[in-house]
Amino acid sequence: MSIDMSQFYQVFFDETSEHLSSMETLLLDLDVDSPSLEDLNAVFRAAHSIKGGSGTFGFTDMTSVTHVLETLLDRLRKEELQLRPDMVDAFLAAGDVLRAQLEHHQGGPEADAGEIEAVCARLNQLASGEAAAAPAAPVAAAVTAEAAPEVRRTLLECVLPASVVNVPDMLKNLLDGLAEIAALDFRQRPDAANPRLSLVLTTLKRDDELKEALSFYLSPNEITLSNPDAAPEAYGFFDEPVVAATPAEDDGFGFFDDVPGLPAADVTTSDQSDDGFGFFDDVPGLPGAAASPTATTRPLAIPDEEASGAYGLFEDAAGKRENLPNRDITPGNSPAAIEGQGYGIFVDAPCGVGLFDNAPGSQHMVQSTAPAPLGHPAAGATGAATAPGRRLTDSPAIETAKTGRRDNDKTVTAANSETSIRVSVEKVDQLINLVGELVITQAMLAEGASYLDPVQAEKLLAGIDLLARNTRDMQESVMSIRMLPMSMVFSRFPRVVRDLAGKLNKQVEMKTIGENTELDKGLIEKISDPMTHLVRNSLDHGIETPEIRVAAGKSPKGTLTLKASHQGGNIVIEVIDDGAGLNRGRILGKARERGLPVNDAMSDHEVWQLIFAPGFSTADVVTDVSGRGVGMDVVKRNIEGMGGRVELESSTGHGTRTVIRLPLTLAILDGMSVGVGGETFIVPITSVIESLQPRLEDIRTMAGDSRMVHIRGEYLPFVSLPEAFNLPGVEDVTKGIVVVVETEDGKAALFVDELLGQHQVVIKSLEENYRKVPGVSGATIMGDGRVALILDVTAVTRMGLTNPRRRLAA
Amino acid sequence: MEHSDNSGTANSGEFLTFTLGAEEYGIDILKVQEIRGYDAVTKIANSPPFIKGVINLRGVIVPIVDLRIKFSLGEPTYDQFTVVIILNIGKRVMGVVVDGVSDVIQLSSDNLHPAPAFGSILDTRYIVGLGTVEDRMIIVVDIEKLMTSTEMSLVEAAVA
Repeated sequence: MSIDMSQFYQVFFDETSEHLSSMETLLLDLDVDSPSLEDLNAVFRAAHSIKGGSGTFGFTDMTSVTHVLETLLDRLRKEELQLRPDMVDAFLAAGDVLRAQLEHHQGGPEADAGEIEAVCARLNQLASGEAAAAPAAPVAAAVTAEAAPEVRRTLLECVLPASVVNVPDMLKNLLDGLAEIAALDFRQRPDAANPRLSLVLTTLKRDDELKEALSFYLSPNEITLSNPDAAPEAYGFFDEPVVAATPAEDDGFGFFDDVPGLPAADVTTSDQSDDGFGFFDDVPGLPGAAASPTATTRPLAIPDEEASGAYGLFEDAAGKRENLPNRDITPGNSPAAIEGQGYGIFVDAPCGVGLFDNAPGSQHMVQSTAPAPLGHPAAGATGAATAPGRRLTDSPAIETAKTGRRDNDKTVTAANSETSIRVSVEKVDQLINLVGELVITQAMLAEGASYLDPVQAEKLLAGIDLLARNTRDMQESVMSIRMLPMSMVFSRFPRVVRDLAGKLNKQVEMKTIGENTELDKGLIEKISDPMTHLVRNSLDHGIETPEIRVAAGKSPKGTLTLKASHQGGNIVIEVIDDGAGLNRGRILGKARERGLPVNDAMSDHEVWQLIFAPGFSTADVVTDVSGRGVGMDVVKRNIEGMGGRVELESSTGHGTRTVIRLPLTLAILDGMSVGVGGETFIVPITSVIESLQPRLEDIRTMAGDSRMVHIRGEYLPFVSLPEAFNLPGVEDVTKGIVVVVETEDGKAALFVDELLGQHQVVIKSLEENYRKVPGVSGATIMGDGRVALILDVTAVTRMGLTNPRRRLAA
Repeated sequence: MEHSDNSGTANSGEFLTFTLGAEEYGIDILKVQEIRGYDAVTKIANSPPFIKGVINLRGVIVPIVDLRIKFSLGEPTYDQFTVVIILNIGKRVMGVVVDGVSDVIQLSSDNLHPAPAFGSILDTRYIVGLGTVEDRMIIVVDIEKLMTSTEMSLVEAAVA
């Protein structure tokens, strides 16, 4: 049976891009002079995971890049080499290459082969910097003789993944590939029933080259290379080989050992442990091994005491989780049951995996220090899950085999998966839509129930109240699924800033404030591009070169601040630089050149708006950073498309502040419903300050035309909604209600006929089937099934103030 | 919005006929989603008079156009007999108000004659042809082209 690996591709893509991001973040935070070992290890783990994953899925190009990357990293973390800034650059470049390759596999353009080569060469050169003095790359040192470039014989042993063994073509390709570089002498040919490959190679190639040849199918650390003549001694690793590793019983998956110290050696240098091929502590007949496929074909009785020995191990290892072995394995059962038990182990593998996470020394932490007793049963559990999983073709087993094939880092991922799940956005969106419908239905019920006699329908009304509360809670929880912290966006900028500052010879320090502010996922994705534009602009046009800054009496190092915060129902994102600021004269000059209607009397605010005009650029030289004049207009369009606004503040010589205001979410809104000329409108509650009935003497006019409302010492512009929307409203000002709202241009008083109530409304798009309506941000469905329009208070205020039809009603 | 270049779909096949005043019109039945009565419409400010507003069609906001007003035909009265044809055009849903729906007819391209070019309100661009069934003349309209045209202002100018 063949497995469709493509179904796992997306998981690989997602995970790899996460690993790449975390690698980049770590690299940027790395202190070059005294790098923390932990960080280097984390980078290494990320690279290693990518390598493992790409090997599994046959993306060999990525495997080879990560391989060289890993080699250098490995030497760094072992402190054989000193970290240098150029290494960080090389790592970052390698990260970029990997990202390009990843995109290529996802259907993007092909990665630049020249660049890949250059990066690999660079990494190799860095890695071999002091290679002569340093010990060779990590191979199973105890077993393998040092590789020399001469004809030699090597015993290659590995267990092929089910995906290879089960597809005759792949197997043939693998063997053909090997035959090209070496003369093969099979000791054991693998087939679907027995995935173990054992052969003696006579070749010129070095061990790592051999592993490389197999990297399409197996990650190098899953391959054991040893001296064939010393084959029997290969098991000499184990002090009691006969008891444990009789080939008939387990085909040599398990490396059994009663010396706890040995496997605790550096996990990554010890191939076997890295693989998760179990090191079993003095375990005769571990359940996993015993339940290997032989159990399906011939009865295999496990002596009770042996079996319980095995369980004892698990109990020790599991500590709090004794229920795992107890539940799954009952000693001395029939063969079928044994198989079932073994099976149970791998089905539960994530649990087993989780268990080492509980252990004080989780796998990759086992750095030659020795929390061993917990460390290897853990490895054993993975091994047990892995080995039979490769033979059984049921999908859970395959799934587990996949898990088993992941290296140490993945065990952490697997452990995390107990607390979080990956769900497609469509599912979440569908949930949000359904909850939206539920809210409408609930509102409809509430409306219907309001006509009932509260005494007679007491229970029903109480139920409807409860429903309202539950619906609201549910809505909030569902909405929060889509919320992501701003750090998702901010985290990409340290790299952008670093690269750009280097390119522009500027010194820039980046600060982020409020990266935990949460924003809807849809907005997070869309805000990233406009922000990149703004950051690039700030660096290119805003922050000056160190010389100019010093001459201007500023610190040579410029500061770029990214800030996110909540303000009412909005999220406000600011990009602030302490650079030169916008040059009013130059903007006006350019605007005149381009024939835009400008004059010197324009306010700063109006002048800054000019840079949002399409094709506007004041840069004298078009660089590859900016200056082509595509930018600010796109930024503005993108942000307005999200229902947000951009504002600019600048002070010459002191810097520029770009403020982006976005709605928190696009789906739901608390609104106040108001009646105007028989129609219902929704005013977002976040913009409502107060409502009051105006007195005639509070309404003043200015220039005989513009009306103002005098409210507690403040004069606010008076905007009549009936006039703005051309509806027949109440004529008498004192009969209506004034709703004071906060708009982006300041406070304003909206005049409406009546207040109807407060609702939570689901925002529906008007544009989906119709088009954008001025002064309206969207529509919603009210409890009675009618459509109500949601006001965009800023737009409607501007509309009302420019409406030529303004007349005094009073 | 993409225009149906393969107007062959509208050239022959089944057509839904409806009346506007004394005239009978036909539209491609495949564009029709459903037929329903006219009920509460939410007005949209500052829109042309033939755009009656939007309705809630099972949770979807759908704009409603009164073709009688658009074509200056018949009396725009709204009562329980007023009919709205809900159309599915491209990915959009929109409704048109007509005087009444007559029936579904078969028309082959042989029965369709090109419309003479008048300077009429209904631009001949939107007319597929004139069909004759018994003694009735049916004006077959390319409803997709009409509804997505800029003069209907149902879609953003940039899109149309």
